[in-house]
Amino acid sequence: MTDSLGLLGVDQAELDSCVACGLCLPHCPTYRVTGADTHSPRGRIALMRVVDEGIAPLSDEIVESFDSCIQCRACETACPGDVPFGHLLEATKEFVETTQRRAPWWLKLGLRGLTRPRLLRFVSSSLAVAQRLRLVPSRRMGIPERLPVRRRALRPTGDDVWLFTGCVMDAWQRDVHLATKEVVEATGTTVRPTGDAAPCCGALHTHAGLGDDARKLAARVISALDGDNAILVNSAGCGAALKDYGRLLDSDEARAFSERVLDVHEWLADRIDQIEMPDAQARTGGRVAIQDPCHVRHVQGTHMAVRRVLEPFVSELVELDDEGMCCGAGGAFSLVQRQLALDVRDRKTAAIDRAEADVVVSANPGCSMHLAAAGHAVRHPVELIAEALRSR
Amino acid sequence: MRLGRRNRQGGARHDRTDRCVADLVGALGPERVRADGAARHLASADASMFSDGTAGPVCFPDSTEHVQAVMRVAASHDRAVLPRGAGSGLSGGAAPLGDPIVVSTTRMNRVLEVDAEDRVAWVQPGVVNLDLSRQVAPLGLHFAPDPSSQQVCTIGGNVANNSGGPHCLAYGVTSAHVLAVEVVLSSGEAVVLGGLDAEPSGYDLRGAFVGSEGMFGIATKIAVRLTPDPESIKTLLLSFDSVADAAATVGAVIASGLVPAAVEMMDQRCVAAVEDFVQAGYPREAAAVLLIEVDGLSRGVEADTRKVAEIGRAHGGNVRVAADEEERALLWKGRKSAFGAIARVAPDYYLHDTVVPRSKLVEVLKAVYEIVDRHDLVAVNVFHAGDGNLHPLLAYDSRQPGANERVAAAGQEILEVSLAVGGVLSGEHGIGVEKRDFMEFQFTAADLEQQALLRRSFDPHCRLNPGKVLPSAHSCADVASLSASRPDGVWG
Amino acid sequence: MITPPVIDDEALLAFAAEIGPRDPVVVRGGGTQWDVGGAPNGDVREVRAPSGIVEYRPDEMTVCVRAGTTVAELHAALAENGQRTALPDGSGLPDGSGLPDGSGWPDGSGWPDGSGLPDGSGLPDGSGRPDGSGLPDGSGPCGSSPSTVGGAIAVGRSPVTRLGDGHLRDAVLQLHYVAADGRLVTAGGPTVKNVSGFDMCRILVGSLGTLGCIGDVILRTRPIPEHEQWAKLDDIEPQIVLNTVKTATAVLWDGSAVWARLAGHQVDVEDDLARLPDAPETPPPELPPFRWSRRPKDLYRLGEETGRFVAEIGVGVVHCERPDPDPPPIPAGVAALNRRVRDLFDPDRRFNPGRSVERT
Repeated sequence: MTDSLGLLGVDQAELDSCVACGLCLPHCPTYRVTGADTHSPRGRIALMRVVDEGIAPLSDEIVESFDSCIQCRACETACPGDVPFGHLLEATKEFVETTQRRAPWWLKLGLRGLTRPRLLRFVSSSLAVAQRLRLVPSRRMGIPERLPVRRRALRPTGDDVWLFTGCVMDAWQRDVHLATKEVVEATGTTVRPTGDAAPCCGALHTHAGLGDDARKLAARVISALDGDNAILVNSAGCGAALKDYGRLLDSDEARAFSERVLDVHEWLADRIDQIEMPDAQARTGGRVAIQDPCHVRHVQGTHMAVRRVLEPFVSELVELDDEGMCCGAGGAFSLVQRQLALDVRDRKTAAIDRAEADVVVSANPGCSMHLAAAGHAVRHPVELIAEALRSR
Repeated sequence: MRLGRRNRQGGARHDRTDRCVADLVGALGPERVRADGAARHLASADASMFSDGTAGPVCFPDSTEHVQAVMRVAASHDRAVLPRGAGSGLSGGAAPLGDPIVVSTTRMNRVLEVDAEDRVAWVQPGVVNLDLSRQVAPLGLHFAPDPSSQQVCTIGGNVANNSGGPHCLAYGVTSAHVLAVEVVLSSGEAVVLGGLDAEPSGYDLRGAFVGSEGMFGIATKIAVRLTPDPESIKTLLLSFDSVADAAATVGAVIASGLVPAAVEMMDQRCVAAVEDFVQAGYPREAAAVLLIEVDGLSRGVEADTRKVAEIGRAHGGNVRVAADEEERALLWKGRKSAFGAIARVAPDYYLHDTVVPRSKLVEVLKAVYEIVDRHDLVAVNVFHAGDGNLHPLLAYDSRQPGANERVAAAGQEILEVSLAVGGVLSGEHGIGVEKRDFMEFQFTAADLEQQALLRRSFDPHCRLNPGKVLPSAHSCADVASLSASRPDGVWG
Repeated sequence: MITPPVIDDEALLAFAAEIGPRDPVVVRGGGTQWDVGGAPNGDVREVRAPSGIVEYRPDEMTVCVRAGTTVAELHAALAENGQRTALPDGSGLPDGSGLPDGSGWPDGSGWPDGSGLPDGSGLPDGSGRPDGSGLPDGSGPCGSSPSTVGGAIAVGRSPVTRLGDGHLRDAVLQLHYVAADGRLVTAGGPTVKNVSGFDMCRILVGSLGTLGCIGDVILRTRPIPEHEQWAKLDDIEPQIVLNTVKTATAVLWDGSAVWARLAGHQVDVEDDLARLPDAPETPPPELPPFRWSRRPKDLYRLGEETGRFVAEIGVGVVHCERPDPDPPPIPAGVAALNRRVRDLFDPDRRFNPGRSVERT
């Protein structure tokens, strides 16, 4: 799969496929806010070459260039040469992590926690209680302002499809899972939540360069979800990660697994006519602005499905005018690169304000928490659909 | 002409650089100056393959005052200064020679004022071309110059290169759309060239500045003309079995008295690469396709569309008219992504740019194919056929032994063919370092001396972007030393 | 290695030889704008540029013409192929002369009765002029203006149709000029698109002959529209005309009435006219002799000081009966640049001494 490895250990052909035309620059959220070539996809690839060919050591500035990437992969959508930037950066981050071990201790600790669902829920509920007692500065910590203390139960109704529940999303946004289940069941399909057997997709580990941890998690998820049933995912980041297991593990089993993974909107779009439509009054009110999570738009390419599914259930759907620019959340990015994440979010906030929307929908927990922290009313698309269905 | 991936030399930095950096930091603040290897390495190249020097400290000014401060520090340290926009240029214009202080305009990216009544906008140089058009779209206006890189290139860069684009066939190049420019001269003084009144008095210094490739001053504010959107636009895709038929169609369309908004041509190999990316329904089997756009008022556009279609069919072409805005946008996305899409053909490209009389298109294209075949290269052609602006794109793999030399040789032969039929060196990419040494093919010693006079009128000490455009014999004396004493590398 | 094209036009070489490397000299064209920038010193040697069309390439939409050719003669030749240039030939104006009314010229010297004109061959004595039949609006003989191509470019002022046809300077592709040292120089290039080297043509256009003596020029031509006409509108705001008449290539306003020149497809002009209230086809007003330069938006705020005026809406030129009492100032930095340009191109000030681009 890889030809002539350089020092960096990334695929040489992938690295060479960039001709430095620069068409990616305006689509890169970090280049947009800093204007620095070190914060652009073209620049990061040029610096990968520098390290790969041994021209310069892995300096602090070079690592900062890689670490400043949100991994939104908008550059891939923009690239006429199909440079697989995401793969290149993931491999680069893994190289940096294995040679220099730069990831902060608290990040690694946190990521390890994601794989232990009971602990995660316990810590989350404790945080929620602490929040009620005003013991934690939620905003500064970058966590939602009102975490749930208790979660409603998510029970299986059958085995037609899996609903991937994940880690943080299950602990913090269980209601989105319930709404997803409700909407999927409205098509006459039974749902089995994946639960603690497949605790975490490993996306954040991959992004942090913790490749071994990510591959272990992938293997664990694959073995937990055997069979042929479709695996529906309502978190953009998790969906993108599960769909990439084939490449990550490079095995037939993993590739077959990835084939079964579907973004929930993608799945619903083909079955929308099986749902009894609400009449006009029952549609969810107000102007609803669509914020495309990058891993929906740029990685999975399922953003049009979101529109198709949502459109019949809301009164007014509006587009943001920023061409799907990243909101700055980027999983753990908003914790690790706080200032950059906020600067990028400012652009998104301005776009949302220009759209004069009452509510923003976003199909990714990271984005919705990041945007909610800026004071926006953010919902998951399936929540609005479920509400419309309930008021039929 | 020198081709090579990127500069890769190592070495130690000098003390003088450290003092200069300290002064820059003192003037701009630490957050606006980068002197580390990573930042300097990335500022050492643009989108071309030309790279001979290494960037010195990279500055990120926010304002005219910042740029003036950089210029004064540069003067006190006797350092050259190189302005840089998005780095999407193709002639090495923003690739440093020597080790100049680099002034990146990317943070000067605000649209300062839009005057819808007079159809003028004052913008900072780092505003992205397409962003400006998007911002004024609700007013029914746009910025007419639309280089293929318009989604990334900056207005400041457009001014430096007098950029063109497909639609300059009808609307004119950047110079026709710039009313005034605030420029920081090498002395640090800021002056406004041109003006918003109808006939500013004095020499047309504005016109002289546009296209001066960063050698006359640094634009810090630009007053651009905004063009009303046409009421109606039709885009036709015409496909042909031979390049000659396509070229003959171009000639016939122009001769018919039509001035289409754009007339673009792509050959078969280019169509294939582009279609792989956009899937716009470009016909892969055609030897050549034309993208012709007509605009204006509805009934006139209908008439023009029929006329173009008739002429195309009379030359054996298949004609498709884009049905809606979406189809039109997709066709143009394909055209404007052509250069990047070439990565699908080979890992490196050299994008040429010459202009020939329209009537010589077929003859020159034949010669181009012959030249590249002889040098064992692959040529992809995608260009502004309406004004004879050829862009042969030589796709190659720089890791193959001798590939760079073959590309350089073929490039020079294409230039010679273009000049021999009455063409010019560059239609829109500029001279930069790429064609500097070929200037003597097109201009006499007297011509070049006059150009040098114009440059010295603006920059007596040749501090700005030294070593570009003019061959060394006609440039400032210090330029000869630029390549003689290669500066130390960025990874000190 | 290939070399630049050799200039072998005998007329051009003779022109260069006549100008030579020293002594004050001025090139006289038709003399129609002789006062612009101040008259040259009295004892300066006068030279005429060669005339005649060198090469016309209708298919390339370019024409190479010697500077001494009258614009009227050039346009008559181009009209045979349905083309013209953005240079002023006066054909769009009521008397077809390109001149206001002849009366009231600032200095009145030698003008426009032709009395002050040298006998110079190739100069408009009226004989051998085109009959103007090929002209778009067919109004009157265009041949009555002696204005030359070189003169029009040296002065750099566009005709009233600049709104639609673009600035004159953008039509100039290449110039051959004689530099102060007597050498022939090529500025620009022969193709419709060209960024090879610095844009020398721009600094020559409007330089009033102070930087170099223009010998010949390659101009971009444009197709003459299918239909052209003037329409007069009363009781309408000029900016409304500017914004609604899409085919307008000129919108003139004298403070009460508006004259629009409509040009393009017959059907489009018809559509435009249908949108307007009563707009009879009426020739535009005569232009008063003095030019003021304003921002387009400031045209609506002109006061009593203009006297009778005709304003070019959307462009900003105002034709007035008096000189501009309050012209836009020239900042010190720009004035210094202007001086440096002239000092470097003509250190001895031998070209057009006494004349200045800053005194227009």
